[in-house]
Amino acid sequence: MSEFSLWDIVYNLLLAGRWTVLLSLTAFVLGGIVGLLLLMVRTAGNPWVVRFVRGYVELFQGTPLLMQLFIVFFGLPLIGLDVSPWVAATFGLTLFTSAFLTEIWRGCVESVGKGQWEASASLGMNFTQQMRYIVLPQALRIAIPPTVGFSVQVVKGTAVASIIGFVELTKAGTMITNATYAPFTVYGCVAVMYFLICYPLSLFARHLEGKFRNVAR
Amino acid sequence: MAYKFDFGAIVPHWELLVDGMILTAELTVIGAVVGVGLGIMGAWARASRAPVISQIVGVYVELIRNTPFLVQLFFIFFGLPALGVKLTEFQAAVLAMIVNLGAYSTEIIRAGILAIPQGQIEAAQSLAMNRVQIFRYVVLLPALKKIWPALSSQIVIVMLGSSVCSQIAAEELTFGANYIQAINFRAFEVYFVVTGLYLVMSILLRMGLKVLGNYLFERRRHV
Amino acid sequence: MKQFFKTAIAAVAMLAAPLGVASAGALDSISEAGVLKVAVPQDFPPFGSVGTDMQPKGYDIDMAALIAEDLGVKLELVPVTSANRIPYLTTGKVDLVISSLGKNPDREKVIDFSAPYAPFYNGVFGPADISAEKADDLAGMSVGVTRGAIEDLELTKIAPADVDIKRYEDNNGTISAFLSGQVDLIATGNVTAAAIIERNPPRKPEPKFLIKNSPCYVGLNKEEPEFMAKVNEIIAASMADGRLNAIAEKWLGIPLPEKL
Repeated sequence: MSEFSLWDIVYNLLLAGRWTVLLSLTAFVLGGIVGLLLLMVRTAGNPWVVRFVRGYVELFQGTPLLMQLFIVFFGLPLIGLDVSPWVAATFGLTLFTSAFLTEIWRGCVESVGKGQWEASASLGMNFTQQMRYIVLPQALRIAIPPTVGFSVQVVKGTAVASIIGFVELTKAGTMITNATYAPFTVYGCVAVMYFLICYPLSLFARHLEGKFRNVAR
Repeated sequence: MAYKFDFGAIVPHWELLVDGMILTAELTVIGAVVGVGLGIMGAWARASRAPVISQIVGVYVELIRNTPFLVQLFFIFFGLPALGVKLTEFQAAVLAMIVNLGAYSTEIIRAGILAIPQGQIEAAQSLAMNRVQIFRYVVLLPALKKIWPALSSQIVIVMLGSSVCSQIAAEELTFGANYIQAINFRAFEVYFVVTGLYLVMSILLRMGLKVLGNYLFERRRHV
Repeated sequence: MKQFFKTAIAAVAMLAAPLGVASAGALDSISEAGVLKVAVPQDFPPFGSVGTDMQPKGYDIDMAALIAEDLGVKLELVPVTSANRIPYLTTGKVDLVISSLGKNPDREKVIDFSAPYAPFYNGVFGPADISAEKADDLAGMSVGVTRGAIEDLELTKIAPADVDIKRYEDNNGTISAFLSGQVDLIATGNVTAAAIIERNPPRKPEPKFLIKNSPCYVGLNKEEPEFMAKVNEIIAASMADGRLNAIAEKWLGIPLPEKL
């Protein structure tokens, strides 16, 4: 039986917490890029593309992230494509995050009034210019608070990456609990660490929300 | 690869999956109804002019939103017995889902309430509506209508999140999946099937919520 | 910190690395690579759990080291859970699963099992004030088990219909459920029960009755007869020269029984 002191627990959780942060950042940055691309092609309005994006969102929002990662990591080798845990995690988390972000942002873009599109079109702007100069700057203002809010969900969502072998915060907690049989101490520490990562993000979201509301008035 | 798929190996265990889907659905429906109810009360408290209550609700929301659902579940199931409150795994799972969704929906509904123009409330006051009437007809319904898509998404997220309830032996869909694969080692087949089942359930849930939203908000408009 | 960045950089570099699956015999590809990859548990003491350095240790890990040593290759441990250990094997991400696997006919359709390498006795345990001498005595009680473990499958077969079997995700869930009073009894391995009693908790899991003697086997992919023969040869040799016995005494506190 291993003898873990409280410091051993905290220290090992901190080490594992770095994976949580790294996975979250990867997911968020790449998911954001893909989500933005999806948003652009969808807003451009080819009906087939719209249908594809809708199906994409439905698929990745409607199934558990755990199953998505499992199928990417263990399913691809069955068709002869071996992927490392990193490739699988990056790929899976990107799909998942982009599906949510593109949907959040779509709502924000749609809240920009039709008149804005028409006015900018009458000025002879093409789609890219309309997006770049007229729609996105306005949509961005509404989009930032829910986007930062979603980042909290991404941080917590990375816990399922343990199914493909990542020892991140939750997994490290489970491992230590199974060695110490002290679930309260360990999960208490796990909860505190998630809180320390997520709460600043939540505060930031609230700060932005307040700021943009005042601007809007 | 030497691996040969055999989806037939799941068939003898189909009851586990059906029972799992039923339990997942039960958890989701109870969690959503009571959780959103809790969220409405929370949002009201946040919007109220009683700072102490508003702050207590604020702490609750932040604690829940910034910690993982699994940890919340463990504390309810393994922690509460130490305080003399013993819950079955179903009660613990339902309670955890209510508490979790309550926090998220408090935040979502509060955002909707903040978006109601002050002039609407003043107009209602000038019509001599009382506070409850104003909250119900002028604030809550329009606010809910505005945030219904976000709330629907959150309910779907909570349904998918209920998969961790299998860790405290609640026999929901993921429980069924993990149990079957432990018996016959057919992890791929089971996970493929269960992913499909979750997708079907979330599409149905989303459709159901859309219909409910139309019923709640569209009809009234023409009254 | 340095190690972390190294790992992170290596991981990112792997994104770009060419990928391929070897189709040669497992034994050939192992000696060619010079590495034996073994899936081991990290949530099941004394077979596999982590030390304060988060490295796995236990009976199964020593067994993996023994096999790697006799094959003359390096050992790479892959910590797994009960949900992903078989996919790791069947997709070729590991060569062996040494994760206190019990055998049943359904499982034998998916992977092959070696000769047994460790004893495992599972039974029903509970506080002194509950009496239960056989499965029928469990009527009306709740029993916690680790989902899908052999004791779960066996108990499900022999228990009367009104026994409330609660199936938890891992050992920790089962133990926490017992210690917090969520279940009356638990079905688990004798070594697990002994480890709990050693910690002197308020509720002590004392032995009630034996469910099954279900030794542990090494899991291999199907259609690997050479590799299987080699693994069995190593298990037999280590039993004969006393090395396996030393592992048993170290982790289980008892010598190997005459016959596994």
